[in-house]
Amino acid sequence: MNEDMNVNRRRFLEQVAAWSAGVAATAPVFRIASAQAPAAGGSPSMLAVAKGKDYDELVGTVLEPLGGMKAFVSRGDRVVVKPNIGWDRTPELAANTHPEVVKGLVQQALDAGAKEVLVFDRTCNEARLTYKNSGIKEAVESIGDKRASCPFIDERKWMPVKIEKGKIVKEWRLYADAIRADCYINVPVAKHHAIGRLTLGLKNVMGVMGDNRGKIHRKLGQSLADLNLAVAPKLTVIDATRILLRHGPTGGNLEDVKVLDTLIASPDMVAADAYATTLFDMKPEDIPATVAGHEMGIGEIDLKKVKIVRV
Amino acid sequence: MHRLGRMMARIPWRWWRRFTQAVFLVGFLWLFRHAELRGDDVPGYVNLPFRLDPLIAASAMLAAKALIATLLLSLIVVALTIVVGRAFCGWICPLGTLLDWLGPIARLFRKRTGPGGRRWRPIRYWLLIAILIGAVLGLPLVGYFDPFSLLQQGMTFAIDPALRSGADAGFGWLYFNASESVTDVSEPVYAFLKEHILAVERTAYIGAGIATGILIVIFLLERVQPRFWCRNLCPLGAMLGVIARFAPFGRKPMKACPGCGECAHTCRMGAFDEHNRLEPQACTVCMDCVDSCPHRIAQFLWFLPKKRAATPATRQGAPIDLSRRSFIGACAVGAALPAGYAAARATGIVPGNVALIRPPGALLDDDFLDLCVRCGQCMKVCITNGLQPVIFEAGPTGVFTPRLIPRTGYCEYNCTLCGEICPTGAIRPLPLEEKQQIKIGKAVFDEDLCLPYAESEPCIVCEEHCPIPEKAIKLTQVEVEVDSEDGPSTIVLQQPSVDEDLCIGCGICEHVCPLEGLAGVRIESLRDEAARE
Repeated sequence: MNEDMNVNRRRFLEQVAAWSAGVAATAPVFRIASAQAPAAGGSPSMLAVAKGKDYDELVGTVLEPLGGMKAFVSRGDRVVVKPNIGWDRTPELAANTHPEVVKGLVQQALDAGAKEVLVFDRTCNEARLTYKNSGIKEAVESIGDKRASCPFIDERKWMPVKIEKGKIVKEWRLYADAIRADCYINVPVAKHHAIGRLTLGLKNVMGVMGDNRGKIHRKLGQSLADLNLAVAPKLTVIDATRILLRHGPTGGNLEDVKVLDTLIASPDMVAADAYATTLFDMKPEDIPATVAGHEMGIGEIDLKKVKIVRV
Repeated sequence: MHRLGRMMARIPWRWWRRFTQAVFLVGFLWLFRHAELRGDDVPGYVNLPFRLDPLIAASAMLAAKALIATLLLSLIVVALTIVVGRAFCGWICPLGTLLDWLGPIARLFRKRTGPGGRRWRPIRYWLLIAILIGAVLGLPLVGYFDPFSLLQQGMTFAIDPALRSGADAGFGWLYFNASESVTDVSEPVYAFLKEHILAVERTAYIGAGIATGILIVIFLLERVQPRFWCRNLCPLGAMLGVIARFAPFGRKPMKACPGCGECAHTCRMGAFDEHNRLEPQACTVCMDCVDSCPHRIAQFLWFLPKKRAATPATRQGAPIDLSRRSFIGACAVGAALPAGYAAARATGIVPGNVALIRPPGALLDDDFLDLCVRCGQCMKVCITNGLQPVIFEAGPTGVFTPRLIPRTGYCEYNCTLCGEICPTGAIRPLPLEEKQQIKIGKAVFDEDLCLPYAESEPCIVCEEHCPIPEKAIKLTQVEVEVDSEDGPSTIVLQQPSVDEDLCIGCGICEHVCPLEGLAGVRIESLRDEAARE
């Protein structure tokens, strides 16, 4: 990350804090230009791929080449682990992130000294059933650490954010806890989707969007890229332990599910999405959100320019 | 031990009664609070108040012309009344308790005027007769007069949502505007309230004003007479009163003493008649007259069979305060109402069951209206807030029955709660696999509104949300001509359509349609089609 971006990010977070505390009445403005974003300069993106049956353990394995969770979470950080908890479906149906993957990440963040680890999503189905049947709430609570929790969305916490460099989405209400986090970890499940072709890392941002988020489907790819400018995950871990090939994003039939036992991790969300796309025998350029994300400077779409480590 | 016994004996009856009332009111509120998905499941016993209510049981069974096993619990209240009279009204009924405790507010700035007039008393019998005859003949009325139904409607549709929204607004304001030292206190308080006191989710209901209005009227009538509802209007009280006449437990002496009459004056039910004699069908065994008797004469005793024979003018002799002529009149009106209603419906002046989306497992048409007691519990337990009270859309007898309004909330694929909580079986309890097959309606696309049709814009939110594993909404790829800035061009779009064999009408597509206002896909009723069932 270059210096300009860090400065801008810090200023943005100050505005967020001021708005949250009621000091400032105007919406925080996110100003980072695409030209200033990370892929424009600096070292190439790094991406790790791991295969294994024990998903909880696999999380540690896939993070190792990236320097472990300590590279992303500092002692005392407020961490958000944002899985896909969209659908009232059980884990094996591949509609939501696997609970063991979420659990592994939360455990890693706790071990890295996080002050607080929040796991949440704005569900598409009814929240209580979705949190329960996805197995994610139970998985987080089974860790038994008071710092980790899986709360429901608090309707009061939607916060207007201006995205100055956004091409389509210029302002939207986003979830305050997601914006304020010191470290936001994006944990999508890889799935088929009729309009985005696939739903991956960039699409997972929809879970921290307020209001009538269905509207953005009219120009989904670019809208997702715009929104990800503001949310800016430090780490993206794509759950491809099992992927949904058809009838996504809800699924509901095991015949549509393919077990791959794979996790993909990278600080570069676009690169992670690009790699995950290849698991579906598709090209990264086929996914509008990935293309838009690359064009906005969020990350690298060309996998030849990404340093890939397989473990 | 003896000392404890003596101490207990010195506690006035009214305190025992108030304590009991408090226990049952808290119990009622606790059941109300837990009649929603908190934690993993909704306990099966949350509909207990309605299963204990003999008026609900009688009218539902008369309507169904069958024995409804779950409602046989109400025999407990019947048995209680046979033994100790209308103690249910004085010691247990939550509406009675609320009127006892809130009545003084309604009576503020009003001088005490004694027991009050007796002219309204027969109304409760008229209502009881009309409800029971109406139940047999197909005019469902119990839900508009049963005290549990009325209380539950007002609490579910209005009071509970208002408390939650109010708390959300207040604590939300603090959260965003107060300093950290304030929010450090207010946030845990808010969390506690949400966990134990407030509704689990924010909800809103159509008809909230009507339901509150009814409760407010019942409350304001306290200004006319204490327990105005209970003594004059309540059909459940009337029913229990009829049974209470045979109770072997009651006040002695039956008459207020000449020259004093403090008991007749104190009685919250105005249960002493013109001759100052206590009517067991009005007495709620509240024991006030025992506590307030200046001479400590009044007491409640068991009337043993021998003694009862010795006091012929007392127990069984107590007449129902309804003349024979009134009784016959009430029966005639009770029978005429359903007949008139049926005739009016036949002419088409009064709408019958128009196309409404009923909950999954609901009985069909009139059978549903007959058996539904308007308790509102299905709407309270509905996790998406999609079940809403009907007002007049289904004719005059459909008021406060449930319908699904998908724009408000849809029928969750993995949920069976409405059928589980229904106390009468108007909504049948269904296993999940069966519920997931039941068609409550069908989705129909409006090509004048739906974006890929009307605006040539890509959108698949409905298809995305469709919970049917094979997707009941199918997408067809089409090429359409559009005018862009650079002149006409061709784009590829996916246009949705419904597979009617697969669609169960759950309504999530209508719910999530991103169009503001009217959705581009809407659920239509299958009422006229044999497809239902």
